[in-house]
Amino acid sequence: MTTLQAPGQTPLRPAEAGELEKATEKRNRRAYLALLIPGLLGLLVSFVFPLAYMVRMSFNRGAPDGVIEETFTFDTYIQPLTDPYYWKVTLDTFQMGVTVGVLCVLVSYPVALFLARSQSKYRSLLLAIAIAPLLTSAVVRTYGWMVILGTNGLVNSSLTGLGIIDTPLKLTNNMTGVTIGLVEIFMPYAILAMISGFGRLSPQLEEAAGSLGASKFNVFTRVTLPLSLPGILTAFLLVFVLSISTFITPRLLGGGSVQVLATEIYDQTTGLLNWPFAAALSVILLVLFGLIIAVYQRLTRKIGG
Amino acid sequence: MSQTKLSIVDLTKRYAAGLEPAVDRLNMQVEEGHLVALLGPSGCGKTTTLRMVAGLMDPTAGSITVDGKEITHTPVNKRGMGMVFQSYALFPHMNVEQNVAFGLQMRQTPKAEQKKRVAAALDMVQLGHLGKRQTRELSGGQQQRIALARALVVEPTLLLLDEPLSNLDAKLRETMRTEIRSIQQRTRATTLFVTHDQDEALDMADRIAVMNGGLIEQFGSPTEVYERPRTHFVANFIGQANFLQATVVSEVGPAGAGESHYKVDIEGLGGFGAVGSAGLSGSHELVIRPHRLKVTVANAADRDAIKGTIERVSYTGDALSVAVKVGGKTFNTQLLTSSGDLPRPGDTAYLSWSPEDAYILPVNGKGPAS
Amino acid sequence: MRATIKGKMAAMAALSAAVLALSACGGGNEAASSGSSTSGEVNLIAYSGVWQDQYTAAVIEPFKAKYPDIKINFSSKRSSAEMLSALQGQKSNPATDVAIMDNSVSTTGNKQGLFEKVDEAAVPNLANVPEKFRDKGGFGPVAMVDAVGLLYDTAAFPKAPESWDVLWDPAYAGKINVNAPPSLLGLSLTAITAKMEGEDYTKGTDKAVAKLKEMAPGVQTFAPNPDEYQNVITGQTVLGLGQNARGQFYSDQSNKKMGVTFPKEGTVYQINTVNLVKDAPHSAAAKTFINYALSPEAQSAFAKALFYAPSVTNADLPADVKDRVVPTDGSLNIIPLDVDFLSSARDKWTDTWKREIITK
Repeated sequence: MTTLQAPGQTPLRPAEAGELEKATEKRNRRAYLALLIPGLLGLLVSFVFPLAYMVRMSFNRGAPDGVIEETFTFDTYIQPLTDPYYWKVTLDTFQMGVTVGVLCVLVSYPVALFLARSQSKYRSLLLAIAIAPLLTSAVVRTYGWMVILGTNGLVNSSLTGLGIIDTPLKLTNNMTGVTIGLVEIFMPYAILAMISGFGRLSPQLEEAAGSLGASKFNVFTRVTLPLSLPGILTAFLLVFVLSISTFITPRLLGGGSVQVLATEIYDQTTGLLNWPFAAALSVILLVLFGLIIAVYQRLTRKIGG
Repeated sequence: MSQTKLSIVDLTKRYAAGLEPAVDRLNMQVEEGHLVALLGPSGCGKTTTLRMVAGLMDPTAGSITVDGKEITHTPVNKRGMGMVFQSYALFPHMNVEQNVAFGLQMRQTPKAEQKKRVAAALDMVQLGHLGKRQTRELSGGQQQRIALARALVVEPTLLLLDEPLSNLDAKLRETMRTEIRSIQQRTRATTLFVTHDQDEALDMADRIAVMNGGLIEQFGSPTEVYERPRTHFVANFIGQANFLQATVVSEVGPAGAGESHYKVDIEGLGGFGAVGSAGLSGSHELVIRPHRLKVTVANAADRDAIKGTIERVSYTGDALSVAVKVGGKTFNTQLLTSSGDLPRPGDTAYLSWSPEDAYILPVNGKGPAS
Repeated sequence: MRATIKGKMAAMAALSAAVLALSACGGGNEAASSGSSTSGEVNLIAYSGVWQDQYTAAVIEPFKAKYPDIKINFSSKRSSAEMLSALQGQKSNPATDVAIMDNSVSTTGNKQGLFEKVDEAAVPNLANVPEKFRDKGGFGPVAMVDAVGLLYDTAAFPKAPESWDVLWDPAYAGKINVNAPPSLLGLSLTAITAKMEGEDYTKGTDKAVAKLKEMAPGVQTFAPNPDEYQNVITGQTVLGLGQNARGQFYSDQSNKKMGVTFPKEGTVYQINTVNLVKDAPHSAAAKTFINYALSPEAQSAFAKALFYAPSVTNADLPADVKDRVVPTDGSLNIIPLDVDFLSSARDKWTDTWKREIITK
C-alpha cells in the first residue's frame, strides 16, 4: 500500500492511522445517530406510544357506560375469538377487502397501464386527473356516491327512466354500495401503486415479443401481464389494507347493515364507549394486517425470483 | 448472381404533418446474405428505417418488399424477422432458455425441436452452459449474445440489429463485432445493422448505407464509401479528410471503372492531378485522406511538393498527426512514427500526394440535405 | 336539600361537599378559577348541527347580550356518548363547564362523578322546574324535552300514519329508515315494540325482537345518512324514526315535504339535561349560564326555534308552537324508558340488534 503524504508532515504509523480512522468512524456514526434522533422521537411519540397504549388498553376490562377497569385480562380477546358473530364480522371484513381489492385492480389496471406506457405530452396532466380525487376527502366522495346510488339517485332514475327496471335497485345501504364506493375511492391509490410497480415493464420488451411472433394477446399474457404482476400485487395489497381499515365508507354507505371490524371498532369506541374491547378488536385487525403482509412478501419474492 | 432479399422503395416517415420527414423517400436493395450497415449520426433516420422494416412503425409512404412479397403493412408478429434491441430487451421474468425459446413457442414449434434448436442457438453464441440462468445474472456481453441467439433461433427472414454494441465497453465491442460478423456469415442471415460508429460499419458490413437527414447519401461497399465518397458528408463522416476547393481544368484520360484522370486547379495552390468519375467539369471539392499525404522535412526533389510550416504535432504512439499550414489552409496529415526525431511545430515541411489519392467528389455542396 | 333524601344520605352529601370545598381550598387556585359569576367564559359541550345553530341563536346570543362579559365556547358533538367520552377523558383536569346531553347518558355521568349538583341557591330558576324534571340526586335538571316521533313523507301519507304498525306494512318495504341502537331512537323503538307486543321490556324482549326481525328486511338503512330526516325529505325513504323537535324543524325547512307524528301506541321521551361539570374551571359563570338556560325567555325561545318543549312551568308558548312541541302535561301516551335500566341494557340491546335483527 502506498501512503500519500503531504510535504512537511511526519507520516502516520499504521497503528495511529488505524486508531484515527476508527475514531473518525465512531464520530461519524455518532453524528448519524444524532441525525436520527428527531425522527425516532417523532416515531416514538406518534406511533410507538399510542400503539403500546392501545395494546395495554386491550387488556383492561370495559364496564358499561365507558368505565374502564384497569386490570390484566384476556377476556377482551376471548370474547371476540370465541364468539361466532365476530368470526363472521372478521370473515366479512376479509371478504370485503378481497372483493374491493380485486375489483379495484381490475378497473385501475387499464388506466395504470395506459398512463405508464403513454408517451403523450399530456401524460402528466392525465396522471394528475387520475389521482385528483385524492384532493377531496373520502367523506365527500362517499356522500357523492350516496346521492348517485340512492333510491332516487342518478343510476336508479336513469334505469327507471329508460324503462330497464320498474322498482329502484338497492344500491346503497348495503355491501353493494360500500363496494362501489370503496373501489372508486381507492382507485387513485391503486393506479399510483401500479405505475410505481411497473418498473420492469418497457415498450421494448413488448416490441421484442411482437418481433418474435407474439400476437397482441400473447404479448399481453406472456410479457405485459407477468411483468406488471408486482404492481398489481402491491396495488391489491394496498387497497385490501385500506378497505379493511376504513370505516367511513362502510359506515356511511353501509346503512348500518355492513358490519366489519372497522365499524365495529368505531361503534365500540364512540357508541358503547367500550375502549378495551375496541382496542382488542384493533389488535386483532393489526395481526390480520401482519399476516397479509407476510403472505404478500412471500408472494413477491416468488414472483421476483 | 445474388438475389435481392429486401427492397425498400420511396420509404417515407413523417411523425407529424408539417415536420421534416425523419425518413425521406429512401430507396435501398439488400442482397441475400449481406450484412448492411445503416450508418449515420443520431437523428439521421437510421433507427426509424429499421423500425419500419421490423414493423414496429408504420411508414407514411413507400413500400418494403421481402423475398418479393410486399410487407409494408404486415403486423410485426407476422414478419418473421429477428430483432436485437439496443437494450437487448431480454424478458426479465424468464431464464435464458425461456428467452431463446420464446419465438419458437409463438410459432408453436414442437417441444422436442424447440429444445434442440434452443440448445443449438445457445451453443452458437457459446453460452450453452447458461441456459438455466436468470438474465439479470448475466454480463452485458452475455446478454447481447442471448439476444442474438433469441433473434436467430427462429431462422428469421431478416436479422435486424439496432445499435447492438453501443452498451458494451470498448474491448468487448471489438470481440462482439467479430463474433456477430462470423455468426452472420455462418448463418447467412441477411442483416440490417444500425450504427453510428463508422469503424463498426467498415469492419462488419458488406454494404454501408450512409444516412443523413432522412436520406441515403451513399450506398456501397466499405471501400467504396471510404475511397470513393460521393459527397462531402460521406467523406467527412467516414474517416478523416482534407477538403480542397478545385476547378476541373481538363479530363486527361480514363482511369478505369468509369473514372478519369483530371487536371485540376486547386484554389491558391495551382495545378495538380486528380481522379474522379468520368465527365466532370467545373468547380468541385477534392478530398485527400490525411495518411495519403506525404510529409518530408527536406524537399526530396518532388516537383509537386508544396512548402508549408508545421503548426501542430500530436503523438499517439503508433501514429503521429501533423498539421501543416500552407498559405491560409491547414492540412491534416498522419504518419507512422519511426525512431527518428519528431518534427517540431515551426519547422518547414513539404507536402505531396499522388494524383490517385486526390479524389474529386462527384456531388457538389455538402450533400443534398444540408 | 330535598325531603326525599334520607338524613344519612344528606349527611354524606354534606360531608362530600365539605371535602370538596376543602380540596378546593387546598387547590389554591380553585376559588379563583371558579371565578366571577358575571364575567369570564363558559365552555359548553352540546349537540352539533342544527341543534347548535338554533341553540346559539335562541339562547347563547341573548345570553351574551345580557352578560356581555361572559364568553361561551361551544364544543359540539354528534352524540351524547361522544360528549360522555370527552368528559371522561378530561376527568382529572376538566376543561368543560357545562354539558347539555341526553338524560340517559348524563345519569351515567352523574354515577361516574363527572357532574356537580346544582341547587336553587346557585340556580334560582331551578325553582320553576317541576319535580318530574329534576334529578333525584340533585344533579343537573332537565333543560328541554322531546320525544321519538314517526317521520313520514307527506306525499306518500297525506294524512299522518296513526300507528307504528305502518313500519311493518309491506307496501313500504325498502322505504323505511330506522336508527339501530346504540342510537336512542333504536332503543326507544325496542321499548315501543315491546309495549305493542304486550311485553315488559325490563324482563325480556323476545317478542319485540321477533317482531322487529319481521320489520328488518323492509328497512332501507339502519344508519341513515346524512341523517334520518334528509332520508325522508330526499325520497330515499318514506318513513323513518326521528325526534319530534328536529322533525318539526326540518318539516318547515323542507316545505312540509316531511311530517312528524306521535302514533297512538305512545312514544318515548328524549330528554336533555343541563349539567354542571365537577371541578369546572369556570363554575360561577357556568351557574349563571345554567340559570339562564332555565329562564322562561331561553326556554320559550328555544321551543320556538327547534320545537323542544320547555322543562320549566313558567315559559309561555304561542299556540302554533305549543301544538308542535311534545306535550308534557300527560296528554301523550309516554312509554317510560328507565335510564338506569337503559344503561345496563344498552350494550345488550345493541348486540341483539346487530346479531339478530339487522340482516344484510
